[in-house]
Amino acid sequence: MKAVGARLPRYDGVAHVTGRTTFVDDARVPGTLWVKALRSPSHNADIKDLDVSKTEAMKGVHAVVTWKDVPLLEYGHLSALGIPADEPLLAKDNVRYKGQPIAIVAAEDEETAQAAVDAINLDLEEQPPLFDVRKAFDSDAPVVHQWGNWYPHFEGEMDRRQIRKGSIDEAFDRADAIVQGVYRPAAIEHVPLETQVCQVVPEADGRLTIYSCTQALYFSMGVVAAHLQVPLNRLKFVGGTVGGGFGGKVDTATETMCSLLALKSGRPTKWRWTREEEFLCSSTRAPWHMEIADAVTKDGWILGRKMLTLHDSGAYSRFSPYGLTKHSFHHTGAYTIPNLHFDGYVVYTNRVPTTAMRGFGVTSVSFAVETHMSRIAKELGLDPFEIRLKNANRKGDTSPNGIVYTDPSTIPTILAVADELGHELPADYRTMSSEKREGELLPEHLVGQIGNSEDH
Amino acid sequence: MKLTVNGVEHEIESAPLTPLLYVLREELGITSPKVGCQQGGCGSCTILVSGEPRRACLLAVAAVDGSEITTLEGLGTAEALSPIQTAFHQHYAAQCGFCTSGMVMAAHAYLENGGGTGRESIQEALAGHVCRCTGYVKILDAVSAAAGGEVASNQRWLPQPGEEAPVEVPGAPA
Repeated sequence: MKAVGARLPRYDGVAHVTGRTTFVDDARVPGTLWVKALRSPSHNADIKDLDVSKTEAMKGVHAVVTWKDVPLLEYGHLSALGIPADEPLLAKDNVRYKGQPIAIVAAEDEETAQAAVDAINLDLEEQPPLFDVRKAFDSDAPVVHQWGNWYPHFEGEMDRRQIRKGSIDEAFDRADAIVQGVYRPAAIEHVPLETQVCQVVPEADGRLTIYSCTQALYFSMGVVAAHLQVPLNRLKFVGGTVGGGFGGKVDTATETMCSLLALKSGRPTKWRWTREEEFLCSSTRAPWHMEIADAVTKDGWILGRKMLTLHDSGAYSRFSPYGLTKHSFHHTGAYTIPNLHFDGYVVYTNRVPTTAMRGFGVTSVSFAVETHMSRIAKELGLDPFEIRLKNANRKGDTSPNGIVYTDPSTIPTILAVADELGHELPADYRTMSSEKREGELLPEHLVGQIGNSEDH
Repeated sequence: MKLTVNGVEHEIESAPLTPLLYVLREELGITSPKVGCQQGGCGSCTILVSGEPRRACLLAVAAVDGSEITTLEGLGTAEALSPIQTAFHQHYAAQCGFCTSGMVMAAHAYLENGGGTGRESIQEALAGHVCRCTGYVKILDAVSAAAGGEVASNQRWLPQPGEEAPVEVPGAPA
């Protein structure tokens, strides 16, 4: 335990401050071809014609790859968990977001590669786009995904993530007031200083060496192997040095396409996204739409919560079903509410596919819950710290999905915040702890939810 | 065209309008200046031209023909870090490391020009350098410590072969 509480030098610190850290873009491989992509100029369109023959004949162009060249075109980011795939590596019949890759080329240099992309003949028939996650449910909304406007493959082929706990009707009948709020945090781009970048080298023994900036190396390896339909031992990944990720380098963005071009051309290939591509085409944190209605008593207890969450997945599923699942487990935040009615949907729009970002699925609900706690306090005329401390998770309380908390840290955290802010609290609040509820802190509505951690 | 980079003179073959960043990285193989935005917006390609920090992505090589260029490779080595490199290392001012080359070069120029420990003047010197990991606090701490002479130039803070890593436990008896 020598490292706990100690100041240790970063293992990579000296390399960073001397410029000797080798990022993917710093690998030097002679004979490398530059990669560029033809990306969709449209948010939603059917592909009527895609002709790359002129490009293939251009001087300096060594390979052009479209959907026809991909051994397994659709492989989902959660396929390994048995979740069906919905996104083609390269667009086939239609494009669903602006910037979606349609064809990729490898050429002698960056300028030639861009000219080659510009020479591809693409004919699109525009379709009405959908950008707002809430409007996806309107009866006149365009249907923008082959499965409908929301993900239908949760366990038991349910079309939502659903939580039911206690008796929501009883809670709302007993309430002194109902406090409602709608919360809509927007999309956020990760903006790593290192844009998406990949270098692939076809080796003499038939293997591919893949220099990858991925945050999820073994996961990316599985994705590339699946699309290429090759065993894992044909791929050698070089990674672990990431120039900033924040979740934006969890999706496999470049490795598979660079590999296909390296195999087709027999030459090393490299793809480094421009800053413009990074902003326009890379995945983002999802926009969310959350509606909360809480049944509360006039002295600040939360008896029950009804919540609807719409998670904007963008054009395809990727990791969003996982993100929504985490979200659903956390939909009471750091507080104990015994009666729950939660419905969450992974909704498709024509935005770029969304993905992980620092606290995947949870930061959205934390924002909503904490704002809502303050709203409840305001509407009831109570102290926002006191209402939080009262409802805060304690040992023995149970989470929305029935997990018994054994070491919750809500109360010391809130007390520390109050302390820092110089917020005065009455003595009975100031001395609260995380110990099991009893006396006034165990009102009738919370009795039934107390669990025994040894059951788990 | 000729460039003197980190004290070594090079004949340059790239076309005159090639960005200095590409000349350094692709022709000379000097990779510490990073390709972050190619628009002068992020600062990760910052190098020194005659001691002054400049954005290598926006400079045509012909515009600096004959100049003295310093990149991060031209400061201290791993065995003998310069004060600003030591400060960045000791204050955890480099996290992913991608913006670090540019940050260190700008901070080095700030110190060479007699910059002090004041937070505001350091912020001014580093304005236009984007870091997404650290939140800047550790970077400002590092530059301030170096400006205040709190770091020795040859301090490595790394275990030598056969040694255990140095461990400082806050509050532990010396």
